[in-house]
Amino acid sequence: MRREGSPFTGVGPVFTKELADHLSSIRMMVLTLFVIVFGAFPVASSLQQLRTVVSADAYLFLRIFTLEPERVQITFVTALNFIIPLMAIGLGFDSVNSEFNRRTLSRVLSQPIYRDALLLGKFLGGLATLAVGLMALWLIVFGAGLLLLGVPPGGVEVARAAGFLVVAIAYGGVWLAVSMLFSVIFRSTATSALCALGLWLFFFILWPMVASSIAMSMAPVQFTSADELLGFEQFGQALMRVSPGTLFSEAVAALLNPETRVFGDFSNLFLARSRGTIPNAPLPFDQSLLLIWPQVTGLVAAMIVLFAAAYVIFQREEVRA
Amino acid sequence: MRRLIALLLCLLVTPVLTSAQVVAADPVATPAVKGLWLLTEYPSQTVRPGEVANVRFKLQNAGLAPETFALSVAGAPAGWKVDVLGGGQPVAAAMPGINESVSLTLRVDVPKDAKPGSQTVTVSAKGAGQSVDLPVTLTIGTEAPAKLTIKSRLPSLRGTPRSAFEYTLAVSNDSGKDLTVALTAQGPANFQNTFTEGFGSNEISSIPIEAGQSKDIKVKVTPPRDVKAGDYPVLVKVAAEGATAEQRVTLQVSGQGKIALSTKDGRLSGEATVGKTSDFVMVLSNDGTAAIEEVELSGSVPTNWKVEFEPKTIASLAPNEKKEVVAKVTPADKAIAGDYVASFRANGRGESASADFRITVTTSTIWGIVGIGIIAVALLVLLGAVARFGRR
Repeated sequence: MRREGSPFTGVGPVFTKELADHLSSIRMMVLTLFVIVFGAFPVASSLQQLRTVVSADAYLFLRIFTLEPERVQITFVTALNFIIPLMAIGLGFDSVNSEFNRRTLSRVLSQPIYRDALLLGKFLGGLATLAVGLMALWLIVFGAGLLLLGVPPGGVEVARAAGFLVVAIAYGGVWLAVSMLFSVIFRSTATSALCALGLWLFFFILWPMVASSIAMSMAPVQFTSADELLGFEQFGQALMRVSPGTLFSEAVAALLNPETRVFGDFSNLFLARSRGTIPNAPLPFDQSLLLIWPQVTGLVAAMIVLFAAAYVIFQREEVRA
Repeated sequence: MRRLIALLLCLLVTPVLTSAQVVAADPVATPAVKGLWLLTEYPSQTVRPGEVANVRFKLQNAGLAPETFALSVAGAPAGWKVDVLGGGQPVAAAMPGINESVSLTLRVDVPKDAKPGSQTVTVSAKGAGQSVDLPVTLTIGTEAPAKLTIKSRLPSLRGTPRSAFEYTLAVSNDSGKDLTVALTAQGPANFQNTFTEGFGSNEISSIPIEAGQSKDIKVKVTPPRDVKAGDYPVLVKVAAEGATAEQRVTLQVSGQGKIALSTKDGRLSGEATVGKTSDFVMVLSNDGTAAIEEVELSGSVPTNWKVEFEPKTIASLAPNEKKEVVAKVTPADKAIAGDYVASFRANGRGESASADFRITVTTSTIWGIVGIGIIAVALLVLLGAVARFGRR
């Protein structure tokens, strides 16, 4: 049977309803509080440290995000790398199966709304909620920086920080798509939450060890040249980049540290030692973007592909249960 | 018999001789001559009008009891001022001990208008029982005119505009009095002259030279940097009290090239794309005074980069000439974006110049387009899924 009209009619109402539900829910309040507390702590500490810095720094404002405070030992970016998935999973793990369980799905779909529109609307609603939360956090950091440092950020700094926000939203989108995929697959909300959190834990705790052990097993017994060592490091990095967290942290590192030219300790060392390189020369913004373009592409494409998978599964499901 | 007499004579004479020796030894303690004298080493001296002459003399007492002797001077012409000084002070009397002497000075102030001729001044010392006189003849001499000579050992030196030319000159004062000699040098415009003492480092403008003495002075001539090749004379003059002497020294300046490497607008930074050749136009100029032959261009660039010059060598670069040189720089294929330093050098004969370029390497945007393509493919997959699985 051929479908009539656009498959996405009704995305708007679903999106607004979903956004309203999220923003007014207690869960969202808790998550936002969680994120703000988690983010505010490193920012407050790094601001305190930055106020005592006297050396001239062209990118002082960006250091708020990347500075590792002496007392807290966690940067704002590391904290976000950790919490954004949690927030996204919290928003998405029950988006579809709770409708099943409350038996409201058939009621929604009896409206002139396609399933396509329902899923897309739910995803966009989650993404918009995430974006609102992150944007609020970002603005709080900016405002606190302006207030406490008294230094206005330069144009490039604002552009880089905005790029960071976009990357953070894309990173949240990946985890939102993951959790929605699980919510489509499993009828039980607990199972889907457990699976999503399990995947998150896997990528955060287990995958770095697995990746390094795989890389070590592939490495030769003895390195005979610098190129071999570089190749080994790059192989390890390629494995690590399977984790979206690595993509996010690399992209953010290049955006917020304009001095970043390569990733990896040994590559950096090799670059610093090679003749003719000017150390710590900042890259122009467009070159930084080109450097992290694969990471950004990977995040966005992963988000789309995961959503497509969820979509395909959802389309083939029986909803009149 | 005769021998016996001789022996007896000997025996007789010996004690006589020994006693004579004993008698002769006595005068060592008590001088043979007793008396009082006024002594001077030079009883006849030459003085100059307008000057002060000091005549040293002694009042010598030999074997007399100490006594006060009044000192007086007689015979001084009118207008002359004559004093007797003892220990730097004017004195009127002296008292020499037994066998001792008192050093005294006759200070004669000769007026400027003293007429030539000899004057005899008599110094006398008058005691209770005796008096002594010392006539001193003072001749008014005509003043010898100041005379200076200057000699150079190496009057001609050769060098480049950047070298310092140092001439050692011997200045001698051939007149009878001490002179303070003023030193001047006249050279071409913008040539700098400094005088130093023979082995000293202080700059001087005049130097005192005692009568009859000679002193070494050094004159250092620094030509301006942009001086053209050629011979430049410098006249060194010494002058004192109307006497002058001069000596001409010569600087033979040979030209020197001076190479400079820069760009037209002075900007020493540029951009280059990974794996692609970029041209940097540089200007090679000769700011010196002589041509530079066989200028060779070279560059040091980061590892695996390539650099070529167009042209590679320049046969000759005349003074004030400018030539454009193109450096073709190719960053390595795997160069990482960022800033690098490449230094370019120009080597002529004995002259070199270098310029450091800051080259910003940018990577190609092809991979960015590829990334967008990947996202587009992902979207197409999604749309395909919508088309395939879309249903009511």
